[in-house]
Amino acid sequence: MSAESQTQPQTQHSMLAPTDHDEFARQEFVRSYKEYLVHNVHQGNEKRYESSVKPAFEKKHNRPPKDRFEVAKEMTKDPYYQMFSSLLRTSQEMMWSSCQLPVERNLEELNAKVNQVTDGAVKGSLKLDENLATPRYHKAVDIHCQPGGYHNEFADKDASSGMVYDRAVHIYAMAQLGPYNDDIGASIIMWLQEKYPDFKPKRILDMGCSVGHSTIPYAEAFPDAKIYGIDVAAPMLRYAHARAESLNVPVHFSQQNAEKTNFKSGSFDLIVSHILLHETSEKAIHNIVKECHRLLKPGGMMAHGETPPYKNMSPFDAFMLDWDTRNNNEPFWARSHEIDLHKLSEKANFDPSKKIEEMIPSALQVAQARRSEVFQGGDFGGGGLWFVYGNKK
Amino acid sequence: MTSRKLQRKAHGQRPYFFDDPNVDKLVSMIMGLAGEVSVMHDRADTLERLLQTKGLVTQKEIREFQPSIEIMDERAAWRKTYLSEILRIIEGELEGTARGDLDPYEKAVKTVEAD
Repeated sequence: MSAESQTQPQTQHSMLAPTDHDEFARQEFVRSYKEYLVHNVHQGNEKRYESSVKPAFEKKHNRPPKDRFEVAKEMTKDPYYQMFSSLLRTSQEMMWSSCQLPVERNLEELNAKVNQVTDGAVKGSLKLDENLATPRYHKAVDIHCQPGGYHNEFADKDASSGMVYDRAVHIYAMAQLGPYNDDIGASIIMWLQEKYPDFKPKRILDMGCSVGHSTIPYAEAFPDAKIYGIDVAAPMLRYAHARAESLNVPVHFSQQNAEKTNFKSGSFDLIVSHILLHETSEKAIHNIVKECHRLLKPGGMMAHGETPPYKNMSPFDAFMLDWDTRNNNEPFWARSHEIDLHKLSEKANFDPSKKIEEMIPSALQVAQARRSEVFQGGDFGGGGLWFVYGNKK
Repeated sequence: MTSRKLQRKAHGQRPYFFDDPNVDKLVSMIMGLAGEVSVMHDRADTLERLLQTKGLVTQKEIREFQPSIEIMDERAAWRKTYLSEILRIIEGELEGTARGDLDPYEKAVKTVEAD
């Protein structure tokens, strides 16, 4: 790749659904469209806010808006913001559609390819549980507008949602997660290795692993460790297993809810998750942290990668980062970004003095230069940093 | 067209941002068209590149053409200009605001009438 290159294409590993000429062009358009919104349209919202919306509010109330709710009340009436939002929502819908088309065209063949690996596993493993209930927080709406969500099946032993997701994540993050979409995992690893160089976990669990894109770097970073990945959705896990096997990385996937797993207490040295917590619920987030406490060995650690909490943000920035809650089918996004992490740890019997709350740099240094370096709706990974909430036991 | 096998609409009430939801629907249609034009552009671009190198082209060649990273970069640059043209009205508004070009139109009418 040339130094000036703007493109870091997704690696066409053998499980990634192949695209024909026009399918690929359609996906590339969506990526450009999203980049355009991030770099050329998004900034106008703040200009509108500072030049018009905020002054009008101040004139009426003799003070600036005190929180994101007051900002929202005014900004949602602003025509510029309305157009921005309409364009951003449309880009999300076009993204899913453009990723569905090549999967739909070849569904039987692609599923057969995935399931062939599933049946003939050589290094890792896959354990599905058809009796596991899909949690209500995944059925209330289709999270981040993926039609059918993670869990719905459209064919026998279907893996289509995993296939669609693997490609869509790359476009959603505008390649900012790297050629294997693994930047959140890679960033947590980089942070762990720098901050805790003597920490050598032997058993690692990735909760809500979806297609295992963040799970795989742990196997590479800790070659002596046994790596487990759990998720509630069978189609994701079928694909995750086939994907990991095709990349020659041993991971043990099983269909389990992170709120209550069937692993024995004290099973793991390290438990991680990557943008899982905001896709759960109030009860579930507490259950998950409690389950982490149960599953960790003494001296073990949990680390959950997320986008940053709202608490240190201006009302306007918090309002913009909150765009996804209502507009991108992320109903727990707002609450999960405002939850009291100290209490969350405490209620789960963790010692809050060993709590971790840190902004960590993205491992994908190559992409750093072209990031917008702000946290904003529709610019996933653009901040160049990830937020880690965790606790040592 | 491929027959529909997958669910196409995400479960959950879709938000509409404008007072008239038809405006949002128009936005969606326009961007859908923009995407398809972009696809056509890429196809023509592919054809031209193949014609240049071979002098003869088949549908199969077009279908299976894999752009290099350099070509992907060039196409991304083309799409930037293209998007800029379609979203001209938004850019123009930002440019006007930045320039302080905010006078009501009636002011110009009054100016020339009194001139």
